[in-house]
Amino acid sequence: MNVTINQQDNLVKVTLSGRADTTNADRFQTDITPLLNLEKPDIEIDCSEMEYTSSQGLRVFLMLQKSVNAHGGKMVLRNMKPQVKEVFDITGFSNIINIL
Amino acid sequence: MEQYGLDLHGQMILEAYRSDMAVFEKMRQFIDSQLHGIVEDNGLYVTAIESRVKSEQSLAGKLQLKGSKYASLSDITDILGARVVAFYSDEVDKIAALIETRFDVDWDNSVDKRKLLELDRFGYRSLHYVCHIPPSLFADESMPQLNEYRFEIQMRTALQHVWATMYHDTGYKSGMEIPKTYLRSLNRMAGLLEIADEEFSKLRIKINDYRRQVHALVADGNFDAVNLDGDSFNNYLALNPFKYLIEKIASINQAEIYQDTLRPYLPVMQGMGFKTLGDVERMRFECSEYAYQLALHQLATTDIDIVALSLSLQNLCIVHIYKQGGGIDGLLHFYNMLFGDNGYNATRAHRTLEQLDKINIV
Repeated sequence: MNVTINQQDNLVKVTLSGRADTTNADRFQTDITPLLNLEKPDIEIDCSEMEYTSSQGLRVFLMLQKSVNAHGGKMVLRNMKPQVKEVFDITGFSNIINIL
Repeated sequence: MEQYGLDLHGQMILEAYRSDMAVFEKMRQFIDSQLHGIVEDNGLYVTAIESRVKSEQSLAGKLQLKGSKYASLSDITDILGARVVAFYSDEVDKIAALIETRFDVDWDNSVDKRKLLELDRFGYRSLHYVCHIPPSLFADESMPQLNEYRFEIQMRTALQHVWATMYHDTGYKSGMEIPKTYLRSLNRMAGLLEIADEEFSKLRIKINDYRRQVHALVADGNFDAVNLDGDSFNNYLALNPFKYLIEKIASINQAEIYQDTLRPYLPVMQGMGFKTLGDVERMRFECSEYAYQLALHQLATTDIDIVALSLSLQNLCIVHIYKQGGGIDGLLHFYNMLFGDNGYNATRAHRTLEQLDKINIV
């Protein structure tokens, strides 16, 4: 799982690639930690190169979403592959996280 | 001081004001914090709490006009003034009652302007209390005047405040006499706002009664008698109606349940034609087993061990639509309402329909 973060003040563009699974969820979490304390962040995550997410990956997305909500910001996940979207759908996480 | 043209008596009062400015400022900060505390501790919702120490120029103006009326600075009760602006007239009374318990009220100098107006007069309506800070509440040995000087607290509604501000701006202190016809218009506005104040208070009482009624009906299980709306849905959710279903779904993979909000489903269910909580309850009874079967079909072959509470309601709605013969169009409409109109919803709807077809819903 590779995470690229391009930040200009509160505007943050994140690119994810690979698999967010049990073996690398910790690193995924570490990589997005700098985003957890931003005030009113505007985060756009490009998931076009993301192949899969496990429960651990969902938990990282959830942690980020909760932080964004708490700091009065917004977050959107874009270009997600259908097989990844399905994981969000069958867990109810599509109700929590804004996926376009 | 000579700049104000005051006589010796006026100059003495103004000098006392200057030397005690720190006292007044300390009083102001304390009173301001007390008023905020009164409002917050009692769950009251106000539009503003303001306080100010009278400016030197304003005091000098007052002394020029009627300085001989005051023997000393402590006779002037509005050097320090505070104001609480509430939304509702009954809340003004509540705030007043709370202020009475906090400060010593000088009743001889306090005025309820709401009661002073003649039956056929409309105009300034506000409650003014002149108070002391009791030593039991706050004292400072270096500033005994803190408990000697009086201060004024105005309490009014937002609409009374609007009228008073407009009147102040256009009439009372504009420095120019305005024609009686305009004054009459201002006073007519006071009557109009008084009616609006009363209507807002009555409306709030009616809404609170409605909420209590809905709460009682939901608690008694009279779901068909309760319209599906924001209040009733919140009361319904407080009963945890989807707890059993989501726990059953979570048991498929021994999953953790994330307690997300179900509020986004209110407009969706309304869009599905649900009118009462009874409609939601019927869906829950008739579709829970199939909603579980759908989740079993989706999750059993995965190692996913976290689900959102909303998955329960999501699957209930999906099964309900299928049972009602909604087909692909019904599912697409549902996803469009839930996630917004986007190109992926058609894929979602087709995939969901394939899964539903496999679980033998009757």
